[in-house]
Amino acid sequence: MRQMKVEEKEKEKKAKFQMNDHIDILIEVLKRLDGPSLGVAACVCRLWCTLTRSDSLWEHLCFRHVSSPPPSSVRPVVVALGGYKRLYMVCVRPVLSRLRNSDSELVWTRDEVQLSLSLFCVDYYERRLGGGATSASSLMFLCNPVNV
Amino acid sequence: MSPYDSATSAGSSSGSSSASSSTKPADIDGLLAGAGYKVRASDLRHVAQRLERLETAMVNSPVELSQLASSDTVHYNPSDIASWVDSLLSEFNHTPSLPSDLPDLPDIVVGPGINPTVKNEADATWTDNDAPPQQQQNMQSLTIPPNQLTVVTAMEEDSGIRLVHLLMTCAESVQRGEFSLAGSLIDEMQSLLRRVNTTCGIGKVAGYFIEALSRRIFTPQASSLFGGSVSGSASAYENELLYHHFYEACPYLKFAHFTANQAILEAFDGHDCVHVIDFNLMHGLQWPALIQALALRPGGPPLLRLTGIGPPSPDGRDSLREIGLRLAELARSVNVRFAFRGVAAQRLEDVKPWMLQVNSKEAVAVNSIMQLHRLLGSDPNRSPPIEIVLGWIRQLNPKIMTVIEHEANHNQPGFMDRFTESLYYYSTMFDSLEACTLQPEKALAEIYIQREICNVVSCEGSARFERHEPLAKWRSRLGQAGFSPSHLGSNAFKQARMLLTLFSAEGYCVEENEGCLTLGWHSRPLISASAWQAVPDANSPLGIVNHHHNNHNAL
Repeated sequence: MRQMKVEEKEKEKKAKFQMNDHIDILIEVLKRLDGPSLGVAACVCRLWCTLTRSDSLWEHLCFRHVSSPPPSSVRPVVVALGGYKRLYMVCVRPVLSRLRNSDSELVWTRDEVQLSLSLFCVDYYERRLGGGATSASSLMFLCNPVNV
Repeated sequence: MSPYDSATSAGSSSGSSSASSSTKPADIDGLLAGAGYKVRASDLRHVAQRLERLETAMVNSPVELSQLASSDTVHYNPSDIASWVDSLLSEFNHTPSLPSDLPDLPDIVVGPGINPTVKNEADATWTDNDAPPQQQQNMQSLTIPPNQLTVVTAMEEDSGIRLVHLLMTCAESVQRGEFSLAGSLIDEMQSLLRRVNTTCGIGKVAGYFIEALSRRIFTPQASSLFGGSVSGSASAYENELLYHHFYEACPYLKFAHFTANQAILEAFDGHDCVHVIDFNLMHGLQWPALIQALALRPGGPPLLRLTGIGPPSPDGRDSLREIGLRLAELARSVNVRFAFRGVAAQRLEDVKPWMLQVNSKEAVAVNSIMQLHRLLGSDPNRSPPIEIVLGWIRQLNPKIMTVIEHEANHNQPGFMDRFTESLYYYSTMFDSLEACTLQPEKALAEIYIQREICNVVSCEGSARFERHEPLAKWRSRLGQAGFSPSHLGSNAFKQARMLLTLFSAEGYCVEENEGCLTLGWHSRPLISASAWQAVPDANSPLGIVNHHHNNHNAL
């Protein structure tokens, strides 16, 4: 991992180079991580935690493998529906893992992007619907057959 | 039986078969002879039964199997299958634990007009000497349908087959009006149900059908509970909840929504004012995806109007408006200009076109998810509701009408036909539901399906609204009403395939059927999606304007 090499360098050059002083480089490094690694990186220190929370990193992660970059109108929609990090967790990761069985080189098609966005939208909406649709305790009687 | 007895019997029968082969070569089945087995053609059925029993016995008692394979066992002439199987069977210590009055397998298959005497439990035995001629006849014409119920264990299988058998007999007696026989069959089935696994497979489905039949037989007036206008404050809410869980538990509704949305999206291309009319709003789960797709379409989103039709909600709640508010909030978040209108109507035929307030400049899409079949019940005094509704839809001149319906024939006049069809259809559907692991979604989805079953089986007349018809019938009906099919494109197909990969188990299949898409389980289509356009009326000017809305009263 590039962080390791940087830390080694740091030791060698006797603290001449501090990763955390060069946030732009750090961001470039973080951009190339996958989802789980980003999660791990978030636990390193407060700075890294803040950086990994930035939605632009996750946007990059979501569309890293798309063959053509998505139109600019996508971002406000995604942000309104919950952000790229959520898009990744709720939609992109499951979609990618199920649609691609063993391919190491993941290339999204536009159709897959579209579908993920639609599903993300449905997810947002269902969360807004909230309690009314999911509270089933008052309807337990439905499980018993109706005896007329 | 000692080995020597079997040997002599094998010897004698092989002697007889060789004798018969020399005197009557036509008697030996030619195809099996080619494989090296000598079986008389007349024995074929007997041998098949014996092989089944042998397999059952082998599966159930592996101990005896190992004994069979031990070195001191004498193996008899296997080319004479009939006696070989008999001798093997006799070596198993226990008699097959099957009820002695179990009917032969070929009787299970049902066609129209089965003679009830064949089904009489007391007569059917394992021997074929006294088999009535009808059984042979059934054997000739039999094909086990490809969507036969999945078979679990040998014992289960027999009880399951027996249950199906009894269900058919009961339904037939209901059709004939023999209610006392039907009632006793219900009792018999209920006792058999106690010995069968009712948490999956045929046991579960049979349970629902038995309940529906008993409703029909014993309490016909109560079956109106599931029909017509259901009163009571919980009902609309219950329906919405069950629908939502059915949406979550299996992909049928998701397929419906996404396919319809794709067709609507394509039809709205280039239009700046669009109006969607939803015949059954429920929780409005279909529309977020369309709103999002419109938000991201090249050229920007249009002004979207949505008119949602749904049952009136009692006790002051305006559920239509609440859903409309949620959808409006979503549309606002993604910058789509949106307007919602709710139309509360207990039945679709009560809706009048002026209530929808369609204006002439907008592109209209009509969306019907499993609603049109409810209009097929007809009162002889009035014109059929389906014609009235299709008439005013056509008057609206929609850019597209999306129709999603069950791919089943549950509207035949004969009760037996409907019963048989629905038994196969809902068995397949329950089969597909087995893959779902989400609870309580799965349980509530089953209740949703159970209500449909009850309506198809136990209701009649205006109370029966689950009048499903297959795609072919809808095609001719819609064609006659002045609609032409609009082919769903390859995008819809691709999307449906992708959706299935995400949400469901192996076994679902999407098929294209002359421009329509069907989703099914193991090559049995269960739900069909199609799109239609109104054929321009030769009498009216192009761009039919609905004049009614000029004089309407505000709702």
